[in-house]
Amino acid sequence: MKNDRKYLSENIMRGIFLFSACVCIIAVAMICIFLFANGIPFFQKHSLWSFLTGQQWSPLREIFGIMPMIIGSFYITIGAVLLASPIGILTAVFMTYFSNNRINRVMKPAVALLAGIPSVVYGFFGMMLLVPLTKDLLNLSSGKCVLVASVLLAIMVLPTIIQTSAAALSAVPGNYYEGSLALGATHEYSVLHVLIPAARPGILSGVVLGIGRAIGETTAVIMVAGNQARMPQGITKGIRTLTVNIMMEMGYAADVHRDSLIATGVVLFVIVLCINSIFSYINRRRVIQ
Amino acid sequence: MKKHVALFMAMVMMLTAGIAIAFNADSEIVVVSREEGSGTRAAFVEITGVEAKNDKGEKVDNTTLDAEIQNATSQVLVSVAGNEVAIGYVSLAALNETVKALKVDGFEANSENIIAGDYPVARPFNLVTKAGVELSEAAADFLAFIMSKEGQAVINENDAIAVVADAPAFEAKDIEGKVVVGGSTSVEPIMGKLAEAYNALNPKVEIEIQGGGSSTGVNQALEGTFDIGMASRKLKDSEVEKGAENTVIAMDGIAVIVNPENTCEDVSLEQLRQIFTGEVKTWAELGK
Repeated sequence: MKNDRKYLSENIMRGIFLFSACVCIIAVAMICIFLFANGIPFFQKHSLWSFLTGQQWSPLREIFGIMPMIIGSFYITIGAVLLASPIGILTAVFMTYFSNNRINRVMKPAVALLAGIPSVVYGFFGMMLLVPLTKDLLNLSSGKCVLVASVLLAIMVLPTIIQTSAAALSAVPGNYYEGSLALGATHEYSVLHVLIPAARPGILSGVVLGIGRAIGETTAVIMVAGNQARMPQGITKGIRTLTVNIMMEMGYAADVHRDSLIATGVVLFVIVLCINSIFSYINRRRVIQ
Repeated sequence: MKKHVALFMAMVMMLTAGIAIAFNADSEIVVVSREEGSGTRAAFVEITGVEAKNDKGEKVDNTTLDAEIQNATSQVLVSVAGNEVAIGYVSLAALNETVKALKVDGFEANSENIIAGDYPVARPFNLVTKAGVELSEAAADFLAFIMSKEGQAVINENDAIAVVADAPAFEAKDIEGKVVVGGSTSVEPIMGKLAEAYNALNPKVEIEIQGGGSSTGVNQALEGTFDIGMASRKLKDSEVEKGAENTVIAMDGIAVIVNPENTCEDVSLEQLRQIFTGEVKTWAELGK
């Protein structure tokens, strides 16, 4: 009798754990099904090729070309990662090998806080400070441009890159460092030529995670990018990204226009899926190493 | 540590203080527009002629591709308030003191000029019925409510300009029935609020509201599918010939806004078209 009750509670708990594990998978599956079920009908009427390569976006006249937005997303993301990677990696190296406990006690919470700031606050910061500042410094007619969006996104992906890189650097076995010192190398030489190369896959996956974060960002970008649906005209001109395109027009969109926005979501989803695959590929290689 | 913080704050303040530079007429005009699908944008491009027919006879919104796009009225206000060479437009009700509203064709954007029909960037919210066809009791009562003091108050609360001066108070009657109202999606939200307020007084009348656009509203009212049609534009001559009668229930005004630093005070409707299609690129070209 007593045993039965024990097994019963065990089974209930097992069920609860199983359910918790499933929630995540169910959510992903449902999002997938929703996106594709709603996105595919659009492609029955409009060709995927002209949707992807079309350079004109006039949804009310049923001209759907998201090429400008695809390029826009990559433009801003690449800019952000180019800016954030060196800063982030060097910060991680500093925190792991050159800093002391006193500095780290400030640094670590600061980085964590940076990761926790809501994106609308970043957007507000960008709109009120970066946009007018850029306009003023570069003497532009409007500060809403690729450059500002990239800088803002760079700040936003910094914590991702720093935290992942720092974790990878601290995971490098201590005997690598000791071995290097024993061979006569200095502290700096060991860090740059032994420890960083050993942590390279981890650092790289941090950068890829950063790319994923940057390409999916919406709220902050919408406030500083200008949102023009046309092919990029240079880094001091405005641009529209895939995410912005969806969020911006969803409010009033109806019928085919709405379907086209969901289709934009499908494209974005596939792009993010590719980035995540690269991430897990890098991770797998690290495990094999 | 505190000293550093103070120093940093001072630097930020200095940087931001340096931002407010004076208006320069030779600078490019930064056009700020709304996203496609927005009712304000649809009204603005239609009134200013930014939307024009192309060779094939299709209506094309020719807003310049260089226009910054914002998806909310508040964002347009912030964008224009933060850029001394920007120009944008917002619903008159949303206008605030962070920006300057331009006169259009010499008339200031205010409710008096809009009711008088002088300020051009405005449109009527029309209810359309067919001449000679008597409305059902319920429809007539709902119409009476809209034109009453209570109904016009609902309109004023919902960002449109009530047009009936000294409207009489509404007396609820014991009426049953169903009223189908349909047409302009710009009038739809206000009609929803009106129906809500009316049902609070007379719950026995069921009011069904449908969208479809202004032209649908007029046509279906003529065909009798809608008891009352909604149109957010003036009636066309062809529609009046077919027997469409309109009642203006409200006016919707759009203010053209610039930065307070901007020395420009007024523009013409034609200049607005040139600015928003990108034909005119600098303030100097406008002769301001």
